[in-house]
Amino acid sequence: MKLERLCRLCELPGVSGFEEKVASFIEKEIEGKVDELWKDSVGNVIAIKKGNGKSSKRLMLLAHTDEVGLMVKRINEDGSLSFTAIGGVDPRVLMGKKVFVGEEMLPGVIGFEAIHTQESSTLLKTPSMDKLRIYLGYPKKEEAQKSHKIGDPVFFSTAYEEVGEYAVAKAFDDRTGCEILLRVLDDVQGLSLDYDLCFAWVVQEEVGLRGSGIAARQIKPDAALVFENTTAGDNPELPEYRWATSLGMGPVLTFAHSGLVLDRRIFDTIVETARRNSIKFQYKRRIAGGTDAGRLARTMSGIPAGVISTPSRYIHSPTSIININDFLGVAELASVLVKEGKVL
Amino acid sequence: MKELIKKLVEISSPSGREDAIREAITEEVRDYVDELRVDALGNLICMKKGKSGKKLLLDAHMDEIGVVVTHIDDKGFLRIDMLGGVSPYMLLGSRIIFESGAYGIVSTEGESAREAGEIMKNLDFDHIFVDIGASSREEAEKLAPIGTFGTYDSKFRDLGEKLVSKSMDDRIACAILVQTIKELKEPADDVYFVFAVQEEVGIVGASVAAFDIMPDMAIAVDVTAGPDTPKSFKRMGFKLGAGPTIKIKDRGSVSSSRVVSRLKEVADIRSIPVQYEVLIFGGTDARGYQVTGKGIAAGTVSVPTRYVHSPNEIVDYNDVLNTVRLLKALAEEGV
Repeated sequence: MKLERLCRLCELPGVSGFEEKVASFIEKEIEGKVDELWKDSVGNVIAIKKGNGKSSKRLMLLAHTDEVGLMVKRINEDGSLSFTAIGGVDPRVLMGKKVFVGEEMLPGVIGFEAIHTQESSTLLKTPSMDKLRIYLGYPKKEEAQKSHKIGDPVFFSTAYEEVGEYAVAKAFDDRTGCEILLRVLDDVQGLSLDYDLCFAWVVQEEVGLRGSGIAARQIKPDAALVFENTTAGDNPELPEYRWATSLGMGPVLTFAHSGLVLDRRIFDTIVETARRNSIKFQYKRRIAGGTDAGRLARTMSGIPAGVISTPSRYIHSPTSIININDFLGVAELASVLVKEGKVL
Repeated sequence: MKELIKKLVEISSPSGREDAIREAITEEVRDYVDELRVDALGNLICMKKGKSGKKLLLDAHMDEIGVVVTHIDDKGFLRIDMLGGVSPYMLLGSRIIFESGAYGIVSTEGESAREAGEIMKNLDFDHIFVDIGASSREEAEKLAPIGTFGTYDSKFRDLGEKLVSKSMDDRIACAILVQTIKELKEPADDVYFVFAVQEEVGIVGASVAAFDIMPDMAIAVDVTAGPDTPKSFKRMGFKLGAGPTIKIKDRGSVSSSRVVSRLKEVADIRSIPVQYEVLIFGGTDARGYQVTGKGIAAGTVSVPTRYVHSPNEIVDYNDVLNTVRLLKALAEEGV
């Protein structure tokens, strides 16, 4: 079983602020399946599947199109590129990784001092971002400048692969969410829903929840479901009580996260729906980390939301791992919630 | 008014679980207001009609800091995380009451005296646990399953001029607004009273409560520090018992100068003692109002409070009464 579209979504480049390719892919996928479709000024893709008119209410499903990555901040004399992080990136996961640079997707590697030349005092120490460079094979600055400029986005180059019930890729955060929305849209084709079902694929979540409020002000939903990818943390070296979530335990439901306690009624509805449909689920067991739900609560007169996530090990790294059954559980739960319409 | 304060501070309603406190406040004010509604996030919004055509908004947040169960071990001990700014040092040794009715005691780890000492030096939520008297995972899961919210369990004490309780932040302001609603007979402007949700986790309710109202002035009523204890913050000059403070700034907002000067004017007209406040940390709902829509002239009136975010916060009763007088004066004199 290969999750073909998830694979394609994950492999697309979409560092925050450079989500065009992801947005275009999504636009092509949904053309003809919705009643209204537009891309707004910041690059959010918004689509509406009209209800049958029995209810004037609107439910918004939301996922973010951007991923964490890097950006060129200086071209060095030796032709290498210095960079800064876009979103939360741990410098330890960057050393020795392959990347693509710029919209042209030119391949490079992130180099660091070889083990042979390191002093024992620097070995195993985390280098600062400033000490890391991207090498693309240019002999000097002038050559590099022909193809690159300051501000070029840098993407992880990991190819998607599946191993048993697990999948490895970059950008599961939040292409899993993007794919959940596409699946829900496919699931409701030909169905008559009482309410307007709205979709928002939003930009720039990773740099401060910037796209979601803008999308919400255009849609004006009564409630929202945010589909995310979240920290697993079920590493064997950590005691179990520090695990935020664990792979294989099903969709993650969030009662509270950084900056927001999720709407209790929506949260209870999600829990009850999962139980009644025998969908295995788990709770997010740490508060740290936020989602676009935090922005939605602070938008207009306040939009209540629920958050449902696929857990991911080594999240925000070039090699994140998900359990495919967790992902399929989120898709099933999303579909049931939309068809039952009890969230509104 | 002490009865009202006792009633409101002893209710356990952490951020996102404001149902109990909202119900209690609704019961108190229902007969004294012209309008009453609950918005999409759970903010309780009441209004008393005035004549000027202008609008004044007074805010107090209903929620209090709290904790939530995140893990249960085989022996029935709970791990918790915080809702709002909760110090693990304050939690240590304190009692927690959970929304399920379970009670817990907070303690910490340490397999040797040295380890216990190290943990105490940098105490965090990864090293504290809650004992709810359960002897197995199954028993604990019935009493307080993962996702159960809780708060400090602490009773109101009347020390005469000083009052002690948990959640003076911000129930003392809820009580002040309720008392103002009851005493206010002829407001100049339409006065909106917002009892807001989820201030402690990041000013959630107040970011949207005024969106449909767009008042001419919004004032958050909250607690501030009480830097009058031995060797307290010497950079802040206000103290308990010298009247409510008119906030100039904190980390969240700079009060609109029009709000500051109007508050001082009405305080002077009615001879109400007030102090000015520059808080070097913290923030209030005023931040949410100030940046709503096209912007609202916003500020904060604070009740100086010792030991904020502890199970035992202390306020001065005269400051409380003077805050009611100040808000009533503003509502009667107009924005």
